[in-house]
Amino acid sequence: MKRGNFLLGAISGITVVANADHVFARALADATLPGLPGSSDRVLVLVNLQGGNDGLNCVVPHGNPQYYQLRPALAIPKNDVLAIDGNLGFNPTMRSLKAMYDKGMVAVVQGVGYPNPDHSHFRSTEIWQTAVPERYEHTGWLGRYLDDANLPATNLFNGVALAQVLPEVLISTKTDVPAVAQLQGYGLFSDRNAAARHTFTELVSDNRFPFTSPYLAHVAEIEDHAQRGSEELPRLVAGYKTDASYPATPLGRSLALAAQIIGSKVGTRVLYVQHGSFDTHVSQKATQDRLLGELSDALKAFYDDLAAHGNDRRVLTMTFSEFGRRIAQNASNGTDHGEASPLFLVGGGVKGGMYGSLPDLAQTNMGNLRFTTDFRQVYATVIERWLGRPSRGILGGEFGTLPVLA
Amino acid sequence: MATGLIRPAGALDAATALQPYRGPWSARHAAHLLRRAGFGGSADEIARYAGMSASDAVESLIRFPDTSSLPEPPDVYDPRPLFASFIRGDKTQRRALFMQARKASGASIRSMREWWLDRMLVTPAPLQEKMTFFFHGHFTTAALQKGVWPSYVYAQNQLYRAHALGNLRELTMAVSKDPAMLLYLDNADSRKAHPNENYARELMELFTLGHGNYTEEDVRQSARAFTGWSINRRTGEFFFNHRTHDDGVKTFLGRTGNFDGADIVNIIYEQPACARFWAGKLLDAFVYDGAEPPLVDAVAALIRKHDYDVAPVVSTLLRSNVFYSPRAYRALVKSPVEFVVGTHKAFGLRRIEPRSVPALAQMGQVLFSPPNVAGWPGGQNWINSQTVISRANFVASMVNAPVMAQSTLARMPLDAHAAARALADAILQGDAPPESYAQLEAYLDGAGTSALGALSAENYEERARGAAYLTMAMPAYQLA
Repeated sequence: MKRGNFLLGAISGITVVANADHVFARALADATLPGLPGSSDRVLVLVNLQGGNDGLNCVVPHGNPQYYQLRPALAIPKNDVLAIDGNLGFNPTMRSLKAMYDKGMVAVVQGVGYPNPDHSHFRSTEIWQTAVPERYEHTGWLGRYLDDANLPATNLFNGVALAQVLPEVLISTKTDVPAVAQLQGYGLFSDRNAAARHTFTELVSDNRFPFTSPYLAHVAEIEDHAQRGSEELPRLVAGYKTDASYPATPLGRSLALAAQIIGSKVGTRVLYVQHGSFDTHVSQKATQDRLLGELSDALKAFYDDLAAHGNDRRVLTMTFSEFGRRIAQNASNGTDHGEASPLFLVGGGVKGGMYGSLPDLAQTNMGNLRFTTDFRQVYATVIERWLGRPSRGILGGEFGTLPVLA
Repeated sequence: MATGLIRPAGALDAATALQPYRGPWSARHAAHLLRRAGFGGSADEIARYAGMSASDAVESLIRFPDTSSLPEPPDVYDPRPLFASFIRGDKTQRRALFMQARKASGASIRSMREWWLDRMLVTPAPLQEKMTFFFHGHFTTAALQKGVWPSYVYAQNQLYRAHALGNLRELTMAVSKDPAMLLYLDNADSRKAHPNENYARELMELFTLGHGNYTEEDVRQSARAFTGWSINRRTGEFFFNHRTHDDGVKTFLGRTGNFDGADIVNIIYEQPACARFWAGKLLDAFVYDGAEPPLVDAVAALIRKHDYDVAPVVSTLLRSNVFYSPRAYRALVKSPVEFVVGTHKAFGLRRIEPRSVPALAQMGQVLFSPPNVAGWPGGQNWINSQTVISRANFVASMVNAPVMAQSTLARMPLDAHAAARALADAILQGDAPPESYAQLEAYLDGAGTSALGALSAENYEERARGAAYLTMAMPAYQLA
C-alpha cells in the first residue's frame, strides 16, 4: 500500500514561489528586521492547571491549626513548608518558584473564585475561560481581548495556543488563533508533498464558485491561515537558541516553545499552555507534589530563558485552575472538588508579594473556601495594566484592578 | 476574518418560500437534500435520489423504513449491578468498585461513539438518524458526568430516535422524565425544601422558549413544579417522589394552579414563543441559520397548525422553494460528524474507520460529550486554523488507508481531465471553481514537476488518493 500513499510522493521537483508581498517572506528576507509589529510589546502567558489544583497544599497556611486538624494525613508538616512568613509558605517542591518569589518576581493572589461556584470540571473550566459565570458564552476572555486590541490583522500569530485543541479562552469572533501542541508534526500532512502543497494553496485561493454561501470566504480564509501559519511558524522560530534547562515534561516543552515564539519576534501577544491533571481525589500528595515541582522548575527555566534574551520584563505569566479543593481531606488521602484557590502572576513586571486574603477555614461554604477575590478582578488587572486595554467591554462589567503590576 | 452573513442577492419571497419547489431536479439537488436530511450521500444514493421526483425523494426520507434490525451498541455499561453491590461492602470496596465502573464506562462510551457513527453511515433511514443527532445537540446531556452512565445515555439516544419525527411536546415531556437528563441537570435531587432550578431554567432558556420569554419568577415556580421528578437509583428509572414534590399553588407564565412538571410543559407549549423558538431551531439546522423573521413566523404558524408534530413541518421544509434556493445552498458549515460520516459515504465505505473517533475530538465534536448544556455552537465556530488542519489531516489519513483500495477511488478514469471531473462531481457535485478543475487536473498529471510523469497505471493510485484529498480540502467541501 505504501506505493499509493500520496504523502510519500516525491518532495523534490517543484518550486513553489513564495508570495513576495507576504509579511513572513519579508521578515525572512531581512534577518535584521526588528520583528513583526508588536514584537517588543508585552506578552501574557496563561497556564491552565487542569483538574482543580489544591490551593491549600500549594500555598500552605502553615500557621493555621485548622489546616492541620482538617488534613491529618495530607497537611504539609510546618517544618517542610518553604515559609514566606509565619502563616504562609510554598509547597516544599516549589523551591525554584520560592527563589523567584524572594526576588520579587512572583505575586500570589489568594482566594480567587466567582459567585455561585460550580463543582463540575467542565462547567467551571468554561467559566474561567469565558469569564462569564452567569450564562453560556462561547468566546473566551482572551479571544475577546484579541478582537478588541487592534492587533495587525495580517499577523497569524497574535495569539497562539500550545495545545492540541484550541481552548475556549482563545475563541473569538474575529481572530483566528492557531493551536500548536508541538512544532514537530504541526500542520497539514499534505504540505510534506510539494505537489499537494502547491495545489492546496491554489485551491484555497480559487474563488469563482458556482454558488454563494455566507461561509465560503471565511472558510477559504481560515484554510489559507492554517496552511501559511503552520508552514511559517516553524520557519520563523527556527533561529532561536537557548541554554535554559527545562524539565523534560510536556509543560517544560510547552514553555520552551513559548519562549522560542516570544524570542523570535513574531508579534505574539497571548500564549496558552496547560499542565495537569491536578484532579487529586486519591493519594493526592504524590501527584500534586510532582506537578507543582514541574510547574516551579519549568517557570524558572522559562524566565531564565526569557532573561537571557532580554524578554523577562515583557512577559507576564498567570496561572489558573477551574477550582481549588475541599478543605478537609477525604478517606482516600485525596481531596474533592472545592472552590476558591490562589493563583500566581510571575514575571519581571510583577510587584511580588501576597495579594488578596486567604479565605476563612472555619466560615466555609459547606466545607469549601469562599472566594475573597473575584477572578474577573485579576483578569481586569491583566487586561488594563498589562495589556493596556479597557476591560469593561471584554469582561462585561467593572471589577476593579489589583496593584500587582509594577 | 469575515464576520456577518453574506446572503445571495435578492430578498426572501416569504409568500412562496414554503411552497413546494417545482424547479429542475438533479444530482446536485439530491446531494443537497441528503446532506441536510442525512449525513450526505454515496454516489449510488445520490444517483437513486436524483432519479426520483423531489417530492418522492423527500417522501422516502420522511416515511423511513423500520430500523429495528440495525445492530445495537456492542457494549452499553449498565451500573445497576454496581448499585446492588453497594448495599454490601465497606467504603474501600465501594470505591474500588466505583473506579472499576468508571473505567468500564469510559470504554463503553467510546464504543458507543463508533457504533453511532456506523449507524449514521449505514442506516436506511438517514432522516431518523439526523433528527436523533439534532435532538442530541438540542436536549444535550453529557455522558460520564453527574452519574450519567452509558446505559442512561443509550436510553436517551433511543428516546430521541423514537421521537425523531414525532411530537415536540411529547418529546419534551419524555425528556423531562429521562434519567440521563434528570441527572445531568440536577432535577433528580430537586426537592420541595430546596428546589433545584437548573432543569427548569434550561427547559425554557435552551430547550423551548429562549431567553426573554419568561421571568426569573417563572423559573422559580416551575422548579417547584418539577420537585420530586427523580430517578430510582437502583433501577435507573424515572420515579415520582410525592414526598419531595411541592404540590402547592404556583403561578407560571400567567397561569395559576397546583402544577406539576407535566403542566409546566403543557403551558410552555401553549406559548406562541415556543413555536417561534422551534421554527428558528429547525430552520437553523435544515435550511440556513439566522433566517429572516417572516420565514420564522411562517414556520412557527406551520408548527402550531400541526400541533408540534415534526414530520409535516420538516417535510414542508425539505420540499420548499426556500430549501432549494441559492439562499440555502451550501449555506451551512458541516459539523465534524457530518464531515466524517459524509466522507465515508463519498468514498462508498460501509464501516466507520476507527481513526474517526479521535479525529472528531480534534475537530471539536465528541458524541455524547457536548461542551455544555447549550450544545455545540456550530456555524462559524466549527472553523478555525486548528480544526481545518484536523479536518484536512483526517481526510489525508483516510485516503491513504488500506480500505481505500475498495473505495470509489479504485474506479477512476485513467485520464487526468476525466479523473478531475469525476472526483469534483462525485465529491462536490461540481461545486468547484473552473480554476480548481484545472488545478486538480494538473496535479493528477504531475504538472509543474520534472520528477513526476503524467498520470499512468504506476502512479495512478497515489495520484487518485492525493486528488481526492485535495478535492475534500476545498472550501466548498466544508459546507453542507
